Amino acid sequence: MRNIWVILKREYLTRIKNKTFIIMTFLAPILITAFYGGAIYFATKGAEDNTQKTIYLSSNNALVQKIDRKFNNYEFINEPNIPPGGTVVLDKINSDIEQGKVNGWLIISDQDLSNLDSTELIVKEAFSVNQKNTINEFLKSQITRQILKAKGISQSMLDSAQVKGGISMIEENESGQMENSSSELKSGVGFIMAFIIYFFIFMYGSMVMRSAMEEKTNRIVEVIISSVKPFQLMFGKILGVALVGLTQFFAWILLSLVFVLGIGKYLSSGIQMPQNMPQGSMNNQQAIQSMMNQNDLIGHLQSLPYAQIIVVFLLFFLGGYLLYSSVFAAIGAAVNQETDVQQFMLPVSLPLVFGLIIAQSVVFQAPNGHLAKVFSMIPLTSPVVMAVRVPFGISWSEIFTSAAILYLTFFIMVWISAKIYRIGILMYGKKPTWKDFAKWIRQS
Amino acid sequence: MSFIQVENVYKYFEDKCVSNNISLEIPEGEIFGLLGPNGAGKTTLIRMLATITTPDKGKISLNNQPLNSNHSSMIGYMPEERGLYKKMSVVDQLLFFAELKGYSHTQAKQEVKYWMNKLDIVSWADKKMEELSKGMAQKIQFISTILHKPKFLILDEPFSGFDPVNADMVKDLIISLKNEGTTILFSTHRMDNIEELCDQLAIIHNGEKILDGKINTIRQQFFNHEYILEFTNNNIEDIETANNQFDIIQTQINSFGRKEITFKLKENQSPQELYKQYSQSNAIIGFKEKMPTIHQIFVNQVTSKN
Repeated sequence: MRNIWVILKREYLTRIKNKTFIIMTFLAPILITAFYGGAIYFATKGAEDNTQKTIYLSSNNALVQKIDRKFNNYEFINEPNIPPGGTVVLDKINSDIEQGKVNGWLIISDQDLSNLDSTELIVKEAFSVNQKNTINEFLKSQITRQILKAKGISQSMLDSAQVKGGISMIEENESGQMENSSSELKSGVGFIMAFIIYFFIFMYGSMVMRSAMEEKTNRIVEVIISSVKPFQLMFGKILGVALVGLTQFFAWILLSLVFVLGIGKYLSSGIQMPQNMPQGSMNNQQAIQSMMNQNDLIGHLQSLPYAQIIVVFLLFFLGGYLLYSSVFAAIGAAVNQETDVQQFMLPVSLPLVFGLIIAQSVVFQAPNGHLAKVFSMIPLTSPVVMAVRVPFGISWSEIFTSAAILYLTFFIMVWISAKIYRIGILMYGKKPTWKDFAKWIRQS
Repeated sequence: MSFIQVENVYKYFEDKCVSNNISLEIPEGEIFGLLGPNGAGKTTLIRMLATITTPDKGKISLNNQPLNSNHSSMIGYMPEERGLYKKMSVVDQLLFFAELKGYSHTQAKQEVKYWMNKLDIVSWADKKMEELSKGMAQKIQFISTILHKPKFLILDEPFSGFDPVNADMVKDLIISLKNEGTTILFSTHRMDNIEELCDQLAIIHNGEKILDGKINTIRQQFFNHEYILEFTNNNIEDIETANNQFDIIQTQINSFGRKEITFKLKENQSPQELYKQYSQSNAIIGFKEKMPTIHQIFVNQVTSKN
């Protein structure tokens, strides 16, 4: 026990004192926020094509001629050479499309508009899936309106039948009260947690691996294992790096709290202003609206199962890290140089990557579905899958069953890894293979 | 009394026997030389003595107790292939090794301070290992091995990487540790070090012990009844004709320009007779036994077993 402590202490202190660690602790939250903020911004906004698109519209159906000609950045105009209602003979591509004067030519040749199967969009450069869907949806709603109009329903009736808004979810909380619930918020919280766990496992797992490799390649290990058992060395290393991870994590939480509290103070001083304004003014209405939205958000935030979230996060963050890092430690002890690492790292890290993919599909489709439950019980994927599910509410029994499986697997894995570690750490020269690993496990 | 006892030890790697029925006794407070060509199984034996691995068969005892990992605080081990943490400071590094050997933080600090003062390296304390020269790093490595006052010290090629000045310093340290009662196992390819420092030795070849015993006894055992006579004048022919009863096996002029003749005596001949024969006619200034060196014995033994 004492030996593990000495190893742990060295592992922890040398890392904490390291300049890179200190800089990363302060910079990483900013870098990560900037990176993902940027990525999300460009994914949602940057890729959007907002240029004006002009499309020829030809149809021999009179109803089609009555639809709106402009929406968003699209404009439909008649093909100049074909009279309205005339039939299109498509022998060669329209020269205006060819020369880029218009972006496309929409030809609706269906007589029965309840089915748009024969409708074609002729283009020179293919439209994106989103663009195609936008046009499709617009056409359908416009045609529906025209059909209804043709059946004698007035414009005002159509407008009044326009449904806005969406479903709000109310669920029963742990104390039996009904509360607002937001799937979006839950997905967001779940996914962020899953991602942090995924990221930490890789970051700190590879730290354990590099540390084992450093001791081997610098030939320090032979002296150390004449004083401590290889298992103690491996375990002390894993725990020491885990503490580094937790320290960094809590430092980030502290920094975020300072940041959030700072912003909160700034915001609250901003909200007081409209209250001093005369009643009924536009500003006041907006302020009330924004406060209601804020209350909504607070309500949603309050509806999250915090006890479960904290327990799951700590339990699975640590469990996932322990499981993967014990494997990474064995790999680090077995290889002789950095370049040999890849062949072992890839197959070992695939389950976790797979877990994150499953987590994405789970969170948007069925957080408590069959798939989610199965992968919550597989220890190699459960850390990320459980994290993504927990904001939606999981039973305590499921949490503890999954955690028990995870930790049990860790104990088996650390036992196997220790065998590889013990022999690998003194094996120099030839590059190890999976076959060697199997042999070493059997040998000791 | 033997401090370390190795009894009929076997160790296998897969199907290969790397320690084949090895038995050794290392008396307390002595320096024991372990010799053997590369790949003979020295490291395997050393690793078993350092409690890194255990024998597959046979037993090793330390001070009459079966050797186990609890003894590690009594053992200091400096492997041939060695290194330290590059990014750690000298003082942190030494503290870590002292604590690994069971010292408390305060004890470790005192001991580190003592050794840094003794070897005059206080100014290196906060330097990182990567900033030190190879010789400096070797010095730190040596301190880390003996910091916890081990009762049994295993040194594998301890002088490699040292310049002559530092090598002498380490040599003196080894001798003073021996005088304080430390039992030392010393493995090297440098035979002059063995003759200079060791009381006993063992030669290992292909996993087997082929020779062991006290250095002087071994040298005597391989003594070939050869004697060297040294003469002031270098008229070789004179002497050779004068000799009619003793076999000359080598004649040479040494670096001082003097004639050296090596005789091999038959069983019924005595060195006194040899001396008598030449003392009348020639100016003898030297007469000595030609004891085989450890180097010769080693090469002889190993090549004869191949």
